[in-house]
Amino acid sequence: MANPMSIIGKNAVAIACDLRLGLQALTVSNDFPKIFQYGPDVFLGLTGLATDVQTVSDLFRYKVNLYRLREERDISPQTMANLVSTSLYEKRFGPFFVNPVVAGINRTTGEPFICGFDSIGCIDFAKDFIVSGTSADQLFGTCEALWQPDLEAEDLFETISQALLSAVDRDALAGWGAHVYIVEKDKVTKRLLKGRQD
Amino acid sequence: MAFIHPSSLLPSSNPSYSFREGIKSSAPGIQEHRFSPYADNGGSTLGIAGKDFTIIAGDTRQSSGYSINTRYAPKVFRIGGDDDSGTGAKIILAVTGFAADGNALKERLDSMVKMYKYQHGKDISVKACAQRLATILYSKRFFPYYTQAILGGIDEEGVGALYSYDYVGSYEREQCRAVGAAASLIMPFLDNQVNLKNQYVPGSGVGHDLKAKAAEPLEQSHVEQLVRDAFSGAVERHIEVGDGLQMLIATKDGIREIYTPLKRD
Repeated sequence: MANPMSIIGKNAVAIACDLRLGLQALTVSNDFPKIFQYGPDVFLGLTGLATDVQTVSDLFRYKVNLYRLREERDISPQTMANLVSTSLYEKRFGPFFVNPVVAGINRTTGEPFICGFDSIGCIDFAKDFIVSGTSADQLFGTCEALWQPDLEAEDLFETISQALLSAVDRDALAGWGAHVYIVEKDKVTKRLLKGRQD
Repeated sequence: MAFIHPSSLLPSSNPSYSFREGIKSSAPGIQEHRFSPYADNGGSTLGIAGKDFTIIAGDTRQSSGYSINTRYAPKVFRIGGDDDSGTGAKIILAVTGFAADGNALKERLDSMVKMYKYQHGKDISVKACAQRLATILYSKRFFPYYTQAILGGIDEEGVGALYSYDYVGSYEREQCRAVGAAASLIMPFLDNQVNLKNQYVPGSGVGHDLKAKAAEPLEQSHVEQLVRDAFSGAVERHIEVGDGLQMLIATKDGIREIYTPLKRD
């Protein structure tokens, strides 16, 4: 199943995913978002086995709700990253087949934060971008060439959108439009990209 | 019965990429000797055709698995030159895949192009050379050259020409093409920046009314920069790409070469 990606900018992060759901070459759905929100400015992208994407996204909704009740505050992206890591490692010998991506802004520091994981919770902290899913190679190529430091929110949107659309157009297993979230301090913008419908 | 070392009963620990494979044992007491005629030597090449020029570039690393054989083994060649240095050549060939096959293919095409000149008293056109290369590749349909080739030059109208091939000679003229280990990283970038895919004219409408930006011929200096950007990105994320970047630029005045170092890690 196709892919989410996230990139970092100046006081902003972006996270995006395509909308295809498929079983190998068979397209099952063309409206299957893979990005989930766990607080005002914390987002999780999930690729991999669709059943595990749903199970894992629900599991974290449950865990983050309990966190909010116990702590009486929203979870920070850093804490979310550690929660994802430990939860995945609990299933070290029977893992969920997912490759998560976390993106958000830390409320206390105001700093943007992104990271990625393998299926058993090893964290990949990145200062630039994280990619995951079937078009990871293509995304590495486009991000490496298009990304630059300190992108403002609007430029960040253009960069992540061009990177994602160009990448999924060279992957038969991804595409059918995309969701893009631009996360700034106290502001989240969600956009739907139509993209190629083939 | 010959003594069999216990380790030979285990699945071979030899790397699967080795040109010379180790001895494999299929059953106790039986030793099977195998030779693999192919290897993958990594690396990447790309070509972009402009209005009156064609740039073909490739990295100069040659590797086998995790080992680097050499940091300078050109994958981009001048075809049909007057001497060993390739002066007077007008056509560029780039090959990735199995380096030995790439070199053999280069030698063969080079001599074909020279034969053409001696027999016809004129230089071969890029179009004819492209067809000849396809024939050479298809002549080995059942024991192919393990190479992906791209061929470039200036066509009969003076326009930049670029042809890309599969292993057995199926070919197509294109504006740009990335080939080899990092093709999957570079190609989407080229779609976006050369053919302007997914780019629309700002303010031209909403939804289906949006006008796609039409791809226009790019300046040579701009294309050179795109090539550099494409490769510095590929070097960052692909272990088989690096060491040096060789760019051959074909114009009506002949072929010019630019070499720039790339990261060696």
